[in-house]
Amino acid sequence: MQTDADTDARQEGIRARADLVTALVLVALGLAVIYLSWTMPRLEARRIHPSTIPGLVPLFLGVGLTLLGGLLAWRSWRIKAPGGWQDLIGLVRTREALRIGVILALALVHTLVLVGLIPFWAAAMLFIFTFIMVFETWLNEGSADPVKSFIWALAVAVVFGGGIYLVFERIFLVRLP
Amino acid sequence: MEGLILLGQGVAHFLTPWSLFNVAWATLLGVTIGILPGLTATMGVALLVTLTYKMAPDQAILTLMCVYLGAIYGGSRTAILLNIPGTPANAAATLDGHPLARQGRAGLAMGLATTSSTLGTMVGIFFLAIIAPLLSEAALKFGSYEFFWLALFGVVISGQMTGSDTPLKGYIAGIIGLLVAMIGMETLHAYQRFTFGISALGGGVDLIPAMVGAFGLAEILSAMKRKAVGHIAPVNDRVVPRLKEIFQYWRTIIRSGVIGTFIGIIPGVGEDVGSWSSYAAAKRASKHPEEFGKGSQEGLIAAETGDNAVVSAAMIPTLTLAMPGSAAAAVLIAAMLIHGIRPGPMLMVENAPFLYQVVAMLLLATLANLIFGLSLTKLFIKVLAVPRERLMAVIYILCVVGSFAITQRMFDVYVMLVFGVVGFLLREMKYPMAPLVLGIVLGDLLDLNLRRGLALTNGDPSPFFTRPISAVICFVIVLTILMSIPAVSKRVRSLFSRTGADGSPARS
Repeated sequence: MQTDADTDARQEGIRARADLVTALVLVALGLAVIYLSWTMPRLEARRIHPSTIPGLVPLFLGVGLTLLGGLLAWRSWRIKAPGGWQDLIGLVRTREALRIGVILALALVHTLVLVGLIPFWAAAMLFIFTFIMVFETWLNEGSADPVKSFIWALAVAVVFGGGIYLVFERIFLVRLP
Repeated sequence: MEGLILLGQGVAHFLTPWSLFNVAWATLLGVTIGILPGLTATMGVALLVTLTYKMAPDQAILTLMCVYLGAIYGGSRTAILLNIPGTPANAAATLDGHPLARQGRAGLAMGLATTSSTLGTMVGIFFLAIIAPLLSEAALKFGSYEFFWLALFGVVISGQMTGSDTPLKGYIAGIIGLLVAMIGMETLHAYQRFTFGISALGGGVDLIPAMVGAFGLAEILSAMKRKAVGHIAPVNDRVVPRLKEIFQYWRTIIRSGVIGTFIGIIPGVGEDVGSWSSYAAAKRASKHPEEFGKGSQEGLIAAETGDNAVVSAAMIPTLTLAMPGSAAAAVLIAAMLIHGIRPGPMLMVENAPFLYQVVAMLLLATLANLIFGLSLTKLFIKVLAVPRERLMAVIYILCVVGSFAITQRMFDVYVMLVFGVVGFLLREMKYPMAPLVLGIVLGDLLDLNLRRGLALTNGDPSPFFTRPISAVICFVIVLTILMSIPAVSKRVRSLFSRTGADGSPARS
């Protein structure tokens, strides 16, 4: 059986390795910002003072991000985390990752596909209904009651999907997508 | 005297049926948002901006302020009854609030949390009314040099104080925020930076969609990551506390209120830091520190006074310097700008009554919290039982509406999605959100004032270091950064203690 100390050490190992990956991404981003700021037009034709060029602050920020990213990479590299890489990759296969993936998929389908294709209230109802059904049946960790979930999902979708439309567009006169 | 008259006028301004109606529903909504774990004050305020933007400016800000204060207070209910902080500000309240509930004194705990929240807000309001006009007058003397340093100071101190894992992550979050602010047309030469030919990026990244993403969608992902399990503690005792039960801790209340106020004034350092700092100070000063964590009434009072004092005090830099005192205050700045109210040093010159109207708003909001908090116990317990699966689906739709409605562009909805995903990943890796938000808000101020300052002196940077106020802020920034380096802070601490940092006696 795993003890709390084991779990904490594992979490720390995962974070150290995740920090290392992020730090490298940040260094790459910092270098890209430095390059883009350096090559940014200096508006010589407009005779602006060289110390007021548009790329000045982004250049400093790029340098700052590269340095701090480098420091974070060095700090994370020094932390000994045996099995950290495997644990980090293993995160993708966890139930938590599945739940997050499903939310993002539902959100993207709603926002990028349904909105604009069908009326906003219909897209909202469809999203709410599917979201509740998925998390109360398929991804439910306890005992599921599909009939009860269906009734609740339908009720919440109709009341809130329609309610949001009415409150925003009809009462508060806010245009919806 | 003039201040008192303006304050009286501010209160009278809102004593109308319409204003009181707005106070009532917005406070109830705020408390509900606070009670529901996964919904934070910042998220509530960001989503509500949409609903209020057709309202009159004073009513809109009144509504948002009630939601903000209500949510910070409401989170204490969840902390006490469920042992889960309703908002991050209430994490310290779980330590003693929930043990009290388990001892069968949930009613007392809720009563103490409610009254101490009100008292905390009152202390904050007192300092807001006194300090803000003075600071506003002082800020009129600030030039480009001082504003550049202030903007940098805001991001640095916020990064230092909110980076729970390491200040390094706080600083990185701040720089990312500043870089986001660099996107779009810059204000000095009207050049479009980092737009990559995308015309929608020309105006830059709007704060509201970014905040709705970072605090709305990211919260949905965090909350839905795993199924919530919790047991609501029963409430069988009296909720309204006796005066003696509160005022025997008057020292703790004043101390926590002052600490909360101090934390609130520091830009971008929010209620959670105020709450933890007050709690730690109360434990150090208490006659019974051993009771802390086991159901200490003093601990609960300290935590709840501290976070609520931050809300009022956060308005000090927000209104006088346009530097948000907390993440939710950043949204309030955006909302004020939408409604044509320009926070900053000129506010007291252009619109002095507004400052006192904000004081009145906080006063009304905290009184509404007190009344609802002590009377609607059963209703709030019902709110706690709402399943997350049903709630979060609706919240996502509100996120889409909230990010779209201000400028009515689908592009802002995409910004919300990007900030939601990136914000979630950063949060999972313990990057604080406050410096990021502060960076987005202060980026333009920092960029414009640095280059304008340099233009004024033909490229000579010396005024940035020789003007007295500039030199002081610069010194504080350098000190803050140096103190975040472990080796330096260890050495400095050992200088001020009798024993060395490693426990060995210091050599003289």
